[in-house]
Amino acid sequence: MRLRTPIAVACVVGIAIAAYLTYVHYAHTSPVCTTGGCEKVQKSKYAELGGVPVAPLGLVAYVTLLVLAFVRGVNAAAVGVFVAVAGVVFSGYLLWAQLGPIDAICQWCLGNDVTIAVVAALCVVRLLTEESG
Amino acid sequence: MRLRHPVTVARNRLLLLGGVIVAALAVVGVVVALLGSGSSSTKATTTISTSPSAGGGAEAKSTFAGVPQRADTLGRASAPVTLTVFEDPQCPFCRQWNIDTLPTVVHNYVRTGRIKIVYRGVVVIGANSLVGLAAIYAAAEQNKLWQMTEALYERQGDENSGWITVPLVRAAAREIGLNPAKVVAAMRASAVTSAIRQSVNEAQSLGINSTPTFAIQKQLGTLQQLQVSGLEPADFTSALDQALQ
Repeated sequence: MRLRTPIAVACVVGIAIAAYLTYVHYAHTSPVCTTGGCEKVQKSKYAELGGVPVAPLGLVAYVTLLVLAFVRGVNAAAVGVFVAVAGVVFSGYLLWAQLGPIDAICQWCLGNDVTIAVVAALCVVRLLTEESG
Repeated sequence: MRLRHPVTVARNRLLLLGGVIVAALAVVGVVVALLGSGSSSTKATTTISTSPSAGGGAEAKSTFAGVPQRADTLGRASAPVTLTVFEDPQCPFCRQWNIDTLPTVVHNYVRTGRIKIVYRGVVVIGANSLVGLAAIYAAAEQNKLWQMTEALYERQGDENSGWITVPLVRAAAREIGLNPAKVVAAMRASAVTSAIRQSVNEAQSLGINSTPTFAIQKQLGTLQQLQVSGLEPADFTSALDQALQ
């Protein structure tokens, strides 16, 4: 339980970011932005994966991780690592897109990058220390 | 019950961790390779879309086949309601509306004679949009404006990356059954320049500075902006139905 609580807290932060970006996407509004590039990133083709907006995909991932944080056992911890590491890798791909082809930085994406990295690190430690069921 | 040695447990956990990480890397790698924006299938409709096999023309042909089209207007001239669409060829949301929703609108409202759609090109993203508008209005000279619009959206690249090039326009023209040389020559014609200026001026006079923007005009009525909650077919047709009542 020691690590599952901070994982859940970090997931709530991630859910807040992903929910806001999902709202922005479907409401066709501009996100609040201090870096100046959020709208460009949001409207780029990298904001979708196979026609599905990436913001709701992130939302689904964080909700999954939040649910897994409340489930005991090594299997839940392993699935958590899988989802979180997949999130980190995909966030890395989107960070590459921002620095390269899009040439614009979105603060919300950076916030998500930090959050998913924290969740992934906590999930890895959890898997290594979780008591066998 | 046999207790396992702590070293064995730790080793098994590390193996499990390694396996899970490798699996996550593999899954994301495959998904991004297949569906991501850098995948070869996407490039075929964006950057290297001078290839005549890039899908847009066939799609455009089936959407607009048999629908009356004259200059910038799609549908029967006698249709009682006019839907005016203000678009920028570089605008990703315009692309979304044209690809996802326009086929439904054409099928349910234009083919049935309930509305006609008028295209108004505007420049909100950058200078490269002007090249796209020139191609679109050049195609309008041969009554294929909507096919050209569709073909360009199918090839849409990053904003202001200079993706609208003459070779790309040639390929799009060829795909929709127009003579590429004739289209490129018409892009510089005064009639096309004048049509673009007129369209841009109309948008400016109406205070339109974002795209896509939709406006409805009923017979003897004035042009009223159509507020939509979303660009997907259900959201858009719901707003359209309300406006048509």
